[in-house]
Amino acid sequence: MSGFSEWLADAKDVRAPEALAVGLPTKRVESWKYVPTRGLTRTTWQPASPQATEQFALTGGQFANVPAVGGCAVSENTLTASEQKRLDRMSQAHGFGLTQAALENTRLVLTIQPTASVVLNLHHLANQASSAGFATLVLRVEAGGQLTLVEQFESTDIESANLSSLRCLVTLSRDSSVTHVRFQAANATAHVFSNLDVECGENATYRLQTIEFGSKLARNDIYVALVGREASASVNGLAITSGTQYHDTHLAIDHVVGETNSEMTFRNMVDGKGEATFNGRVLICKDSQRSATEQSIANLLLSESARVNPKPELEIYADDVTASHGCTVGSLNKTELFYLKSRGLSEADARAFLQYAFAEKIVEEIEHSEIRALVETQLLGELKHGELIAELKESVDV
Amino acid sequence: MLSIRNLHARVGDKPILKGINLEIGTGEIHAIMGPNGSGKSTLSSVLAGRDDYEVTDGEVIYMGQNLLDLEPEERAWAGVFLSFQYPVEIPGVKNIYLLKAAVNAIREHRGLPELKAGEFLKLVREKLKVMQMDEAFLHRNVNEGFSGGEKKRNEILQMQLLEPTLALLDETDSGLDVDALRVVGEGINRMRSPERSVLLVTHYQRLLDIVKPDFVHVLAHGEIKLSGDHTLAEKLEREGYEGIEAA
Repeated sequence: MSGFSEWLADAKDVRAPEALAVGLPTKRVESWKYVPTRGLTRTTWQPASPQATEQFALTGGQFANVPAVGGCAVSENTLTASEQKRLDRMSQAHGFGLTQAALENTRLVLTIQPTASVVLNLHHLANQASSAGFATLVLRVEAGGQLTLVEQFESTDIESANLSSLRCLVTLSRDSSVTHVRFQAANATAHVFSNLDVECGENATYRLQTIEFGSKLARNDIYVALVGREASASVNGLAITSGTQYHDTHLAIDHVVGETNSEMTFRNMVDGKGEATFNGRVLICKDSQRSATEQSIANLLLSESARVNPKPELEIYADDVTASHGCTVGSLNKTELFYLKSRGLSEADARAFLQYAFAEKIVEEIEHSEIRALVETQLLGELKHGELIAELKESVDV
Repeated sequence: MLSIRNLHARVGDKPILKGINLEIGTGEIHAIMGPNGSGKSTLSSVLAGRDDYEVTDGEVIYMGQNLLDLEPEERAWAGVFLSFQYPVEIPGVKNIYLLKAAVNAIREHRGLPELKAGEFLKLVREKLKVMQMDEAFLHRNVNEGFSGGEKKRNEILQMQLLEPTLALLDETDSGLDVDALRVVGEGINRMRSPERSVLLVTHYQRLLDIVKPDFVHVLAHGEIKLSGDHTLAEKLEREGYEGIEAA
């Protein structure tokens, strides 16, 4: 029985009966085997109501204040055959996909016009207790267009489970670029679902930086297809998981054609009874010669009861490719701790330094300076004994 | 200042130090020489509190306290400094953060007021000049991408800032070219003081040409086999360790 049964029974969407019949994925589904579904099944979910806001926001499954900026146009809500196919694939990817599709509140289609340069700041507002919002955002970046998409989450406390889901389709035409920064610092009872499907055309560049600190449970499904020559994608991410949080990222990059590049860097830092899952798959198809991929996954465990489930996968069917990968799991490095302590840092400060260092390798890559500063400040708040570093940054950073 | 008595230490089941006895007086410079694998680096690591080694017997008295009872950071607060043979890279942490945090942690334990940003910068610039290091080093990550020589200069820079009472220098001369050796050696000489003692671990005599030790000891098979003045180092350079090892 899913916590969405009543809602689905009333839903008008044609996929609702199937979603109701399938229910939520269980641990028998490989890609969901670590996901704690208790919060999803034990809550009787209701549609969330949008809240008043002055920002471009996602609230109660609705988009508010869609920005009217030059070069960015709201398009008709009709999908191309290819977009529809990609959304259908998302719906079929796992049992929750059907529920996400059937309960969709809104869909917004935005087109970034050729050679335009647009910045969008999307704020995710918290939904009310026991309520959920489902939305879909379709972004079309036309030839030579440049989009910076920044997603931020409001962290207002909500007394019990709340949920927000965003499915996002991004299509990059030739010579376009997208820089996508996602900073998830949602409230402690939030269940955050993000499904992202990106298609990169010829000489297009997609760059995602995803930072995850918040929520009770977060699940990201990211799929990037490199479909044009000289297309490139880089995804780097950091998840800091503590208490009883669960963070899960499933990332797949397909090199559909040759002369394409991808880079995947992900770091998990897990403390308390937290659990983090990272599944990173790169596929280089048979004819995708002269492609290159780099994959690096690092996991830092800070407590005896912290858990991490990393799974790197490389599937290469072409013979002329460059591929590198690495995956590490460990606790704080003893030699590094000794070095810092031998310089007079207390055990607590030395540990904070190394945790900061681990996270900072991802955070320092964020080009958007306001977001980087915001992430750094919150990062120091997340760390036990982060005060010393905060003080140092303030006193000696020029 | 430092009294090492019958010190035994091992890694896993393998004994490395097999009864070291050494007295270091205040203001003295002692050099420990010896072949590879003799236990030189183990000795300085044990004194600084690295926990890869297990002390199985003996004691170390430093300024009236049992040094082996102290945590590594407590030893630093008490004035012990180890210059690492292989300085550790810490990507993600700027050198200046570590330097300022270390200086103020040690000042706090000496009952001195914290250095404010301006005072600290003035001090660190002065020391950078001595070590012929560019200010850019402050804003690079700790030892990340530093050459061998830059790492060792950074160690001596830290020593100059922290002003230890007992400096343990582990193969500070290894990996240095002639110019860097002179800078590092002179950096050590500047720290000579009647209140400060130095234990210099080295494989070669060349650093001892610049930093003249008061005493030279030869460590082999985990024991001090021979002690003398600085002329012993010259003799070893000419004749090698073979005769001593056999002894």
